[in-house]
Amino acid sequence: MRVFTASFRFQCQLLRRSPGDLSVLVTAPFFSLLFLSMADQAHRSALTPYAVVAPVFMSVWSMSLFVAGDLISRERGTGTLEGLVATPASLSVMVIGRITAAVTVSMLAFAETWLIAWLCFGIVVRVPHPLMLMATLATSALSMAGTASVLAAVFVLVRSARIFQNTLSYPVYLLSGVLVPISALPEWLRPLSKPIFLYWGAALLRDSLSPSDVSSPVGRLLAVTALGAIGFLAGRLLMHQVLRRVRVLGTLGRT
Amino acid sequence: MTNAVETRGLRRTYALDRRAKTGRSEVVALHQLDLEVAEGSVHGLLGPNGAGKTTLCKILATVLLPTEGEVRVFGRDVRTQTRKVRRDIGIVFGGERGLYTRLTARQNLHYWCALYGLRRPAVRARTEQLLERVGLVDRADEKVEGFSRGMKQRLHLARGLAGDPRLLLLDEPTTGMDPVSARDFRSMVDELRREGKTILLTTHDMDEAETVCDVVTLIDGGRVLAAGDPRSIGALVSRHERVEFDFVGPVAETVRDLLDLPGVVGCTSVSPGRHRVETADDDATKAALSLLVDRGATALTTSRPRLEEVYLKLIGDRGMAVR
Repeated sequence: MRVFTASFRFQCQLLRRSPGDLSVLVTAPFFSLLFLSMADQAHRSALTPYAVVAPVFMSVWSMSLFVAGDLISRERGTGTLEGLVATPASLSVMVIGRITAAVTVSMLAFAETWLIAWLCFGIVVRVPHPLMLMATLATSALSMAGTASVLAAVFVLVRSARIFQNTLSYPVYLLSGVLVPISALPEWLRPLSKPIFLYWGAALLRDSLSPSDVSSPVGRLLAVTALGAIGFLAGRLLMHQVLRRVRVLGTLGRT
Repeated sequence: MTNAVETRGLRRTYALDRRAKTGRSEVVALHQLDLEVAEGSVHGLLGPNGAGKTTLCKILATVLLPTEGEVRVFGRDVRTQTRKVRRDIGIVFGGERGLYTRLTARQNLHYWCALYGLRRPAVRARTEQLLERVGLVDRADEKVEGFSRGMKQRLHLARGLAGDPRLLLLDEPTTGMDPVSARDFRSMVDELRREGKTILLTTHDMDEAETVCDVVTLIDGGRVLAAGDPRSIGALVSRHERVEFDFVGPVAETVRDLLDLPGVVGCTSVSPGRHRVETADDDATKAALSLLVDRGATALTTSRPRLEEVYLKLIGDRGMAVR
């Protein structure tokens, strides 16, 4: 836990020194503006929750993918990767602590979206279920960090893993119903949505903004957590295997 | 005395890219290397580029696995007891890289100390102690990117000491440093030795090795060529003491008389006007000195063969070539 919290703090310090890494907080208001305009133009108020939640999840997931991917490349570039591996701390835990920090900071996209809805469209997004909102954001953040750590492990092994980073953004937003309702997807594609934690997280976040009761809240939170935990375990296992492999090959520090 | 490091038949190879079409499938970095580093000593590893020094450091730091052979750090196997080995070691790579330059020295050290599992108060205390030790207290809250080469290297050393290691691996730590910084760095190494830390230092610098090391090992092509005390290792190229002198004018008669002295085994010219007499014992040295003073020789010095001579003799002068 000490390594996790130290890595969390450390990443916050790095982000303060590199504000360019927080570009998702610049793009989130534009996405909000665009999605809310589309819902407004189509007179489909039912889509407003999607227009509010989508920029938040897109920002946070894209941030976690960015940090997971770039973290290893940057450590290689600065010549610190070998030093980190030579400490008794687990590289997986370091990576997850650092991705969690980036994900937490990018949650500010929610406040930005809220402000855009209010200032530009006069929509006051109310939060009738604040505890559910907090719980959803917290579990989703940890699940994103856990899942994104798989990508970090791939980056340790393959230096040109950027293609994975791209593949896991927009196709995932569409498939998990973050951007559009999954009812808009072909029937045969819909079963693929449920194994993605973003599907559960985005739906819960929308429900926490709706005045009606949230159905099966515990089960759905558990689904987010369990899928995130699977990602975390997969990332940890993969990182262990990958580190062993690069120690055999002698390619750990290669830039 | 127990060994901090022990390698037996250590072999490390790297696979070569088939597309390079070199005709070889692998390159051997370490070839059946046997090495012992006594606990509490400063052990120098000398060798040209490509000798295998960094490969050995990386294996000891557990970031690289041996291809064959046994490697133990304080009796622990680097393959199977990796985490325990990591608790006992600190590594300092030379060069500019290895630090988070956008952060301050204090932030850098806080993080590295935390990675050794220290609680926050202990992290803070250790960081202050390290900053004090390397003389960076006054610059602790400045970004590392504004540091000089010498300051960065001091921070590197502090980083290597973050886990209070028993074994410190210094991989060419003074490369690119100015002479004053290098001297300060060596005095810090000396302090660490007095505290009982074991230090394995790789270097190209013969003076550095002679000044700070208790034992040096010369390696080339992944093999040990020689090992011993840097002051007595000269015996590998010559068992004799030497007297060097300047002589103005014809020297032939003096050389002939020197060679007639019992125990004088040779006399050579080392540069225009400067000559070297090799003697087999102390009496011969005294006699040679006496004769040279009588004949008006100047700038007389006596010495044993230096480490640099041993290095050049064993490794050869290969210019820029890397094996």
